[in-house]
Amino acid sequence: MADKAKILIIDDDEDYLASTRSLLESEGYDVAVATSGHDGLEAARASKPDLIVLDIMMESPVEGYTVVQALKFHDEYGDVAEIPVVMVSSVKEDPSSRFPMAAEVPMIMPDAYMTKPLEIPKFLECVRKMLGA
Amino acid sequence: MNQPAETADSIIVIDDDETMRRACQAALRRTGYQVETYPDGSSGLARIAEIHPAVLIVDLKMPGMSGMEVIAELKKLNLDTVVVVITGFATVGTAVDAMKAGAYDFIPKPFTAEELRAIIARAMERQRLSAEAKRLRQEKEAQAHSFITFVSHQLQSPLGAVRQYLDVLLHQMGDEAPAQQREWIERSSRKISEMLQIIADWLTLSKVEGGQLATERSPVRWQDLVAKALAGLTNTARRKRVSLHNEVSDNLPPVTGDETALRMLLSNLVSNAIKYNRPDGEVKVQAAAEDQTVSLSVVDTGVGVAPEHQPHVFEEFYRVKDKSTAGTAGTGMGLPICKKIANELGGQITLASEAGRGSTFTVVLPRAPTQKSPPDPPASSASAERGDGPLSDAR
Repeated sequence: MADKAKILIIDDDEDYLASTRSLLESEGYDVAVATSGHDGLEAARASKPDLIVLDIMMESPVEGYTVVQALKFHDEYGDVAEIPVVMVSSVKEDPSSRFPMAAEVPMIMPDAYMTKPLEIPKFLECVRKMLGA
Repeated sequence: MNQPAETADSIIVIDDDETMRRACQAALRRTGYQVETYPDGSSGLARIAEIHPAVLIVDLKMPGMSGMEVIAELKKLNLDTVVVVITGFATVGTAVDAMKAGAYDFIPKPFTAEELRAIIARAMERQRLSAEAKRLRQEKEAQAHSFITFVSHQLQSPLGAVRQYLDVLLHQMGDEAPAQQREWIERSSRKISEMLQIIADWLTLSKVEGGQLATERSPVRWQDLVAKALAGLTNTARRKRVSLHNEVSDNLPPVTGDETALRMLLSNLVSNAIKYNRPDGEVKVQAAAEDQTVSLSVVDTGVGVAPEHQPHVFEEFYRVKDKSTAGTAGTGMGLPICKKIANELGGQITLASEAGRGSTFTVVLPRAPTQKSPPDPPASSASAERGDGPLSDAR
């Protein structure tokens, strides 16, 4: 088996960060963390992870979307645009209903959307799928 | 309904007798209120709908539309207008009828200018008080909703964190860990899930109450929602060995409602029908259209609801706790949420049930008005205005 896949978790909630990191590490992944959108973008550029798990609401209600937009479209972050993003949130609705225009604007849609607290089998399956792609 | 400030002190008089109209105008002239007079119910009501006056003075006995009929029509407008009726000499009986129908006061002919002004002053005060009470009630509801929203989020966050710690622990423990440890952690996680569900339902209920959930009013096709709801619950039904049957005709006319709210309502009813069912039982979804309404029924062959519980099932937190429901988990908020949604959309929900045989929940909603004009051809600019273009679904 090749090198362990690298996953970057971006979330300001230390509890979710701790349990998600522990989960992924025990599954054999190499995990890095960032506790803000800004630090997360820097970390993505520096380490080029294979997958990003991103919380939707950190400092502001839609900061997660701003991060996705930056990752996918900002010139400065050009080489990380292809990294798949799993958005995680305690908001239980489908993002395309929260932002009706979002469905038409691929720049701020993540590749997958999970709710907190995570349903572990579903989450792990999603991670495997995103990495296998 | 907020009154525009400039018409808060306006009065409308409806009386077929011109002398009476002039007399009211004259008597109320120096009070500073804006007074308009109309000779019949329909012209008066049309103006009432426009300016939302504080007070309506209406003669009970008129040719054409009577005073009582005017009062009935006014009620449909759902305004805060206070009604004073003019009655004939010594006909207190008609005044009582009018007051039972919603009038605030009556004044018998003949009356003096002072008598009219005194009654109007009281009516105006009454109107101010009830508008204020309404405003305070709305403020209270908004505050209650912000409180509930705040508390829910404060509770959901730590509970979610705890559940995830427990779930990850469980996942990492593996099957070799002592059975009791696994079991207790699993149970703890489930309890947390229950709490999270209660909080989510409480929040939903509050949103419906606060008028935040069922906000849209557009044509909704039940048949589309039913197909999706049943598809989504196929696995759940299969696990309980319950069969699902969609008996809704594709020709069912649409209802006026909020699609998101109705999806939630339907989902609640169908999952309940599955949950409280027996193995090899059935769930059928049926619908029928009447002149003004469409009713949708979810029929199950489950445990049913005993007569003593039936009046209470739509109450918050009410759960039937007897051997028929032993082992079913629930928050007791699904049905109250359904009821609030139905009522908010101008409809209602009812239960018909026989203990041991099954239950039928029926939702009745107003039919969507049919398009009066045929759709414009795509080339015309009118169709862009009416939302026939590609962005018409953007909300």
